[in-house]
Amino acid sequence: MTAADSGEPLSRRLEQYLSSLWNDNVRVINLARIPGGASRETYRFDAETRGGARGLILRRDPVGSLIDTDRRVEFLAYKSFHGVVPVPEPIVLEERPDGPLQRPFFIMGRIDGGTPASPFTPSPYVEHADAIGEVLFAILGRIAHADIDALPLAQCLKHPDPAECWRNALDEWEAIILRDERHPQPIVRAAMRRLRRNPPSPASRISVVHGDYRSGNFLHDGEGRILGVLDWEMVHFGDPLEDLAWCCDPLWNHFDAGRVAGTIEETAAIAIWERESGLRADPASLKWWKLFSAVKGQAIWTTAAKQFTVDHANLALAISGLYPPRRHDRIMADTLERLVEEGWT
Amino acid sequence: MTPTVPELLAGCAAALSAVPATEDAGLFTATRLRTVATINVLVAQECATGTSVRIWENAALRSVLAGAAPRYGAAYTEAASIGDGDLSLATLDDANAKLRRLLIRLHEAAEAADDTKFDRTILALYREMATRRELKLPGARAAG
Repeated sequence: MTAADSGEPLSRRLEQYLSSLWNDNVRVINLARIPGGASRETYRFDAETRGGARGLILRRDPVGSLIDTDRRVEFLAYKSFHGVVPVPEPIVLEERPDGPLQRPFFIMGRIDGGTPASPFTPSPYVEHADAIGEVLFAILGRIAHADIDALPLAQCLKHPDPAECWRNALDEWEAIILRDERHPQPIVRAAMRRLRRNPPSPASRISVVHGDYRSGNFLHDGEGRILGVLDWEMVHFGDPLEDLAWCCDPLWNHFDAGRVAGTIEETAAIAIWERESGLRADPASLKWWKLFSAVKGQAIWTTAAKQFTVDHANLALAISGLYPPRRHDRIMADTLERLVEEGWT
Repeated sequence: MTPTVPELLAGCAAALSAVPATEDAGLFTATRLRTVATINVLVAQECATGTSVRIWENAALRSVLAGAAPRYGAAYTEAASIGDGDLSLATLDDANAKLRRLLIRLHEAAEAADDTKFDRTILALYREMATRRELKLPGARAAG
């Protein structure tokens, strides 16, 4: 149910909530829903107060979503990294399911002047691809470098055993595939077996893993600057190679096999990441995490397809279940052949 | 696998029929319309090639499964009896699901037996299956 069909317009509910929160007479204007991923409803609006107008973003839990994520964890991720890397400023978290906006939500500051790239368009960064790549992998390195025990995220995330990061990740996503698969998927089954037989080295350190760090999940200004890293719904503590591999996954390369995330060559990206993180990206382990990325992707697309069929309502789920799984099957099949050639059992 | 053609078109129809909330006007609705258009382009590809792709894949699976029967057991001979029915996408998918389940079992058996040569045959089949199933987004280059 949307606010519009529940009697009270969403803008009015927001005004009442913010007026109470800030002890002010807040006026909400320019409220508009924007595409913001499939796992939360996202709205932009301006809040007018006695002190002036402020651009804000509302992220509200949907009725059904791509993956079950905890909005508290996402909110704390913004708190953890605001001022460290470019992210929106977290303002307030409201977790009551029957609260002022009918579902849990949080509000954060809006970053104006930037846009996310569509992940499936060629050359989105044009002549600024090198500059974006430099910043993209530097930010990722800084995220990997952060001291997890000093972050607000430590309030709610588990600290895994470095030797078990790969198994935890694989167990989680394999369970989703087995739970939600509608049609037998022999390629991802083969990939999961291979991953178990050829595990990577233990994580060199436990880091914050964004979980969906890739082209399309940050705002850029069209002139080579990254203004905000978004979509932290899947953040967790784990092996930082998970994020590096995901960002280098061919699905996000904008159809340019020579440039990871449509930006720079992979060797340059890894060098930047190593410089900023102070870590070494072990090549053998990175291969494992790359194949894992395709498995994780396939799990996300599998659950999207299943959820779409429940009510046929969310087209973001439909397209997620239609196009990317076929590319990830191809990526997995190519990778499996290559790894077996290289000696994987 | 992916949502079926009827499911996808039902979703598009529902999206186009729904009365949008006031706050949905603008960019959100424009994006939804673009998504409807993209889904229809992909569905058109699926309708144009989906039958031949599935007939090819089912035949390839039957061939690999039947060829493995002498070494891996008579259970795989049942693949020959899994027919393509009336060649609708739905019946082809039903047959494909049965054949894929057998292939998963066979691949596990080949791996357990350290049958490297057959393992590579199956991996090559996976590549071919995945390549034939790929869809092309409007405006996109060939996948790199």
